[in-house]
Amino acid sequence: MTRWMAAAFLALAMCAVDRPLMAHHSFAAEYDKNKPITITGAVSRIEWANPHVYFYLDVKASPRPGTWAIEGGAPNTLYRAGWRKDSLHIGDIVTVHGYLARDGTKLANMSKVILADGREVLGGQQDGGPSAPKRPGQ
Amino acid sequence: MSTPLGRRIRGVVLTLGSLFAAAGLAWSQGPSRPAPPDLSGFWINQYTPDLSVALGAQPPFTAFGAERWRTVDTSKDPTGHCLPVGPSRGFTAPFPFLLVQNTDTVSILFEYQSIWRAIYLDGRGHPDDVAEYPYFMGHSVGHWEDDTLVVDTTGIDERSWLDTAGHEHSAKLRLTERFQRKTPDTMQWTVTYDDPVYFTRPWSITRTFTRGKPDDRLLPYTCNENNKDVEHLRPHQPNLNYKHTPDAKPATKPPGGPGR
Repeated sequence: MTRWMAAAFLALAMCAVDRPLMAHHSFAAEYDKNKPITITGAVSRIEWANPHVYFYLDVKASPRPGTWAIEGGAPNTLYRAGWRKDSLHIGDIVTVHGYLARDGTKLANMSKVILADGREVLGGQQDGGPSAPKRPGQ
Repeated sequence: MSTPLGRRIRGVVLTLGSLFAAAGLAWSQGPSRPAPPDLSGFWINQYTPDLSVALGAQPPFTAFGAERWRTVDTSKDPTGHCLPVGPSRGFTAPFPFLLVQNTDTVSILFEYQSIWRAIYLDGRGHPDDVAEYPYFMGHSVGHWEDDTLVVDTTGIDERSWLDTAGHEHSAKLRLTERFQRKTPDTMQWTVTYDDPVYFTRPWSITRTFTRGKPDDRLLPYTCNENNKDVEHLRPHQPNLNYKHTPDAKPATKPPGGPGR
């Protein structure tokens, strides 16, 4: 694959990742949209609470192994989209595409969470109002 | 009065008395007017994190307002610290509300922050001391103009923001809102922002609320039960390159607003 094709492919892939919409408080004050990150790990904890759902990943791979916190959407928005507390299970191996926290901690804001079998979970969770995000099974 | 004349006199007196009583009752109630429409129900907002997108331009800032916008630090968003969302921002947040309409009050129950607005329709004005004792959600009084609910709000705590983007206001902000059902399942909301500290003239936006489904319900929202954002916020001033162009338009009254 030529460098040109690789660059084009990467650009296309980046467009496919959900862009984070401005949340009900400032995304950019906490996360860096110029620092996308992809990490894979086992889910070790799920916090289904306001103002944002969190889950924690046990990441083995370098460069930053350890426990990562992943911030998701608002629980009510996720619930209305059909997601539930058990949409993710402890022990699930997931790949998170997200954006790194500005303060350097092992924290990312998720834009996509993908299970080992390729299904997306907790997805389409933009705080976008009445237009329905993707429902599980769709 | 048992004589024929007596019975006739009694009949006339009773008839005239009834007529006078009916006339008096009608006079005391004023001319009959149709009952206002019922705006009650579960309504879904049109999410608007940046009012300038709805307006199509930045609001007509004063020099002070422009400098506040230029230097705003979005990590200071009051809602990020679980402070109340404010009266108009509750209607642009990505969460629904329940409107409960009675003759003397309209109550707005926002899902976001489980917070409320009370709109008094009994003809009262604003408390004399509302500026000294402000409400984060403002103090609201309203009246009907045909099928439109017109609401006047003052005493809005200046710590609230107008939107997520960081448009701010002063304690002098006065909101005029017009609520009108356009179809059975849509309601139009026009809000006019009048704040001489921040803006050179009042300006307005219009949004549409959509009625929810019959089984929709408000979901729980306790902001500070697990707010982990606070410890990770870093200063963020996205508008430092904003160039203010002083507003050329003369001050005008907002269309349909209350007299001042």
